[in-house]
Amino acid sequence: MKSLNLKPGLVPGVVTILVSLIIWQVASLFFIPVFLPGPVYLIDLIVEVYSDPASYAVIWKTLSRIFNGLILCMLIGTSIGILMGIRRNFESFMDSWIMVLLTFPAICWAFLSVLWFGLSEWAPMLTVILIVFPFVSMNIWEGTKALEKELVDMATVYRADKWSMLRKVLIPQLMPYIFSAMRIALSLSWKIVLVGEAFGVSSGVGQKLIYWFEETRVDMMLTWGLSFMVLMVVIELLVFRLWERHTFAWRHQIAN
Amino acid sequence: MPTDKNNGHGNTVVDVQKLTKKFPDPMTGEEFVVLDAISLSVEKGKFASIVGPSGCGKSTLLNIIAGIETHDPSDGGTLDVYSDSEVAEPRVGYVFQNARLLNWLTVEDNMIFALESQGISKDLWRERVDKYLEMVGLEGQQKNYPLNLSGGMQQRVAIARALAIEPDILLMDEPFSHLDEITARKMRFDLMEILMRANPTILFITHDLGEAVFLADNIYMMSTKPARIFKQIEVDVPRPRKPEDPKIFDLEKELVREFFSVLDAQELEDG
Amino acid sequence: MSEKATAVSIRIGSIFVLIGVWYLFAKLMADVEVLPGPLAIAHAIWGVLIEPGPEGKSAYFHVGITLGRTFITFGVAMVLGIAIGLTMGLRKVIEYSMMSLIPLALTMPTILMVFLAVMWFGFNEIGSLVAVVGVVTPYVAVNIFQGAQAMDKSVIDMARVFRADKKMLIRKVYIPQLLPYIFSAFRFAFGMTWKIVALAETFGIKYGIGYMFFFWFEQFNMELVLAWIIMFVILMLILEHGVFARLEHAAFKWRPANKLQT
Repeated sequence: MKSLNLKPGLVPGVVTILVSLIIWQVASLFFIPVFLPGPVYLIDLIVEVYSDPASYAVIWKTLSRIFNGLILCMLIGTSIGILMGIRRNFESFMDSWIMVLLTFPAICWAFLSVLWFGLSEWAPMLTVILIVFPFVSMNIWEGTKALEKELVDMATVYRADKWSMLRKVLIPQLMPYIFSAMRIALSLSWKIVLVGEAFGVSSGVGQKLIYWFEETRVDMMLTWGLSFMVLMVVIELLVFRLWERHTFAWRHQIAN
Repeated sequence: MPTDKNNGHGNTVVDVQKLTKKFPDPMTGEEFVVLDAISLSVEKGKFASIVGPSGCGKSTLLNIIAGIETHDPSDGGTLDVYSDSEVAEPRVGYVFQNARLLNWLTVEDNMIFALESQGISKDLWRERVDKYLEMVGLEGQQKNYPLNLSGGMQQRVAIARALAIEPDILLMDEPFSHLDEITARKMRFDLMEILMRANPTILFITHDLGEAVFLADNIYMMSTKPARIFKQIEVDVPRPRKPEDPKIFDLEKELVREFFSVLDAQELEDG
Repeated sequence: MSEKATAVSIRIGSIFVLIGVWYLFAKLMADVEVLPGPLAIAHAIWGVLIEPGPEGKSAYFHVGITLGRTFITFGVAMVLGIAIGLTMGLRKVIEYSMMSLIPLALTMPTILMVFLAVMWFGFNEIGSLVAVVGVVTPYVAVNIFQGAQAMDKSVIDMARVFRADKKMLIRKVYIPQLLPYIFSAFRFAFGMTWKIVALAETFGIKYGIGYMFFFWFEQFNMELVLAWIIMFVILMLILEHGVFARLEHAAFKWRPANKLQT
C-alpha cells in the first residue's frame, strides 16, 4: 500500500496558516473594516486598488528606488568590506564608523536626508544607502575572515598581480558572502525605502502608507502594505533562485 | 548496558560472549547483522586490541561497551563489565578519533568536566589534573584553550581526561588515525610509557597492524560484513618494546598473512 | 607602537578627521539651515543638557523614558524569542507551525508593524511593546532555533560516555554552544529595539528621544535635530560598544583570531 510521501513540515504548517486565517476572519467580524479588515474584505480592496492603472506607477517608483539603492549599496559595501578584510588599519578606521552607522535609526536618516535634500528623489535613496551599506560591509568583512590564506599564498608564489588576485582568488571565494549580503541588502532596502518615502517624498508606496496611517484607515494601509510585501517576497525568491542557480552551477555539476 | 559484579570474575574486566548486534536497514526495514557472535575478554592491566579494516563495526562494539549504543539481548550474546571499586557503575574512559574537547573550556576544565560527571570528589581534582597532564607530557597547559593546541596535543588532553577518572576500562577508537605519521608514532611510544607507569586496562581499536602489534598484549582479528572475530594472537614481547624488534616485525607479517587469507576467502565467497 | 595602540589612535584620529571635514563643509555651505557646523551643534547639545526643553522637561527625562521603554520591551521580546526558539528546537511540530508564520513577521516592514501596533493598541506603552515584540521576537526565535539545530552531536556523545548528568549537559555543553547565537541575537535585537522605540515615539507616543526628533524636525530646527541625533548615537555606542562588546569578548576568549590581515 502506497502512503503519501509528504514533506514532514507540510501538514502542521498548512494547518497553522489555515487556522490563523480563520481566527483573523472571525476576529474581524467584531470590528469595523477600517479598523480590522478581514482577509476576505482585504482581497476585495486589493483587487480594487490594482485595477487602477495609477497604482502601478506608484509601485514602479518605489521599485526603481529600491534597485538603484541596492546597486549602490552593494558596490560601496563590497569594496569597503574587502578593504577591511585586507588591511588591518583600514579595519580599525572603518569599524567604529560602521558601528556608528549601524546605530542610526532609519528615521533619523530619513529626517536628515529631507533636511539636506528636501523632498526629492535623493532623500529616500540616501537613506537606504547610508543604512544598508554597513550591513553589506560587515557581511563581506566576515567573509574575508573565512578566506583561505593558503590560496592567496599560492597565487603569490605564482606571482599573480593584484587585479588577478582580486578577480580570480578573492572574489570567487567571497561569492557566497556577496550573495548572502545581497539578500540581506535587498530585504532591508525595500523596508527602508518605505520609511524614506513616508517622510521624504510625495510618491511611492511608503507615501501611501503614511497617508492612510494619518487617515486612520487600517484597511487601506494593509491593502498597500500587504500586497507590496507579497510582491517583494516574490521578487526576492525569483531573483535569488535564478542567480544562485547560475553562479553556483559548478557545484551542481559536481554533485551530478 | 554493561553490568557490574564484584564476585567471581577473577581478573577479567570486560567479558563479551557471543555478542550479536542487528540493525534494521533504513531503506528496506530488513535486519542485517553488524556484529556476529563476538567473543573477547580484557584482563585487568592488560592491553587488548581489535584489528580490522575500517567500517566493520568495531566502533559499534566499543559504543555498546561504553553505553551509548544499546544491545538487544534477543539478538544474542552477553556483555559484562566488572569493576573493583565501590561505585555502582564501572567507570568507562573513552578516547575518540577526534579529541572531542569542549573548546570553550580550558584544558583543566575539560578534565574536571569528566571528573565531575563521574562524581569524583572535588578534593581529588587538582591532583588528578596535574598528575595526568604531566603523564601525557602537557604539564603547565592547564589554563590553555584547546583551539590553541595542535591536533596531537588535543588528543593528549583527551587521553589525560580519560585517564584522570581512573577508569576500570579505557576504550580507544583509532585515536591516532587522524594524526600525521610522525606525531602518531610519538603518541604510540608515549602511550606505551603510560602503560608501564599507570597500568590501565585498555581496549584499543585500530586498522593499523603495526600499531596493534607494538602496543597490545593480545590482538583480536576482525573481519567485516558482518563483523566476526576469526583469530586471536598473543603478543609475548616484554615492554619497553622497540618498533625495530624482529619479533614485532615477524608478528606483523603473520597478521598480514592471516588477514589476506581471510579476505581472499571472502572474495571467493562473494565473487 | 603596539598594535592595539595603533588601532585606537586610528579610531580617534578618524573622529578628528571627520569633525574637521564637517567643519570645512559647514563653512563652505554657510547655510545654517542645511548643515550647521560642529561648533554650533556642540553649543546646541550643551544647551539641551543644561536647560529644560519644551514643556519644561529636561533631556534626562526624555532619555530616561526612552531607555526605560527600550530595556523593558527588549527584555520581554528576548525572553519570548528565546523561549519560542528553544521549543522549536525541541519539538518538531512547533518548529513546523512556527516556521509557517514567522517568515510573515520577518518580512513585514518595521514601519508597518509600528503603524499597526500603534493604531490597534494605542499611542502608549502597550503600542510600543507590541511593535517591538512583533519585530524582534520572531528574529530572536529563529536565531536561537538555528543555534539549537547546529549543536555538535559528537561532543554531546562524548559527554554521555563520561556520564554527565542533565545539569552538567545543560551548563557545560548546551549553553556554551547556544551562547554565540544568543549574543548575536542580543546585539542585533537591542539595536532594533532602540530604533523601533524611537520610531514609535516619533509617531506621537509622548516623550522620549524620538519625540524630540520629531518635535524639532517639525520646527525645521536642524541644529536641535542633529543635536538629539548625536546624543542618541553616542548613548547607543556607549551601550553597545562599551557594555555588550566587553561581555561578548569575555565570553568568547577561547576563540582564535583573523588570519588574513596584514
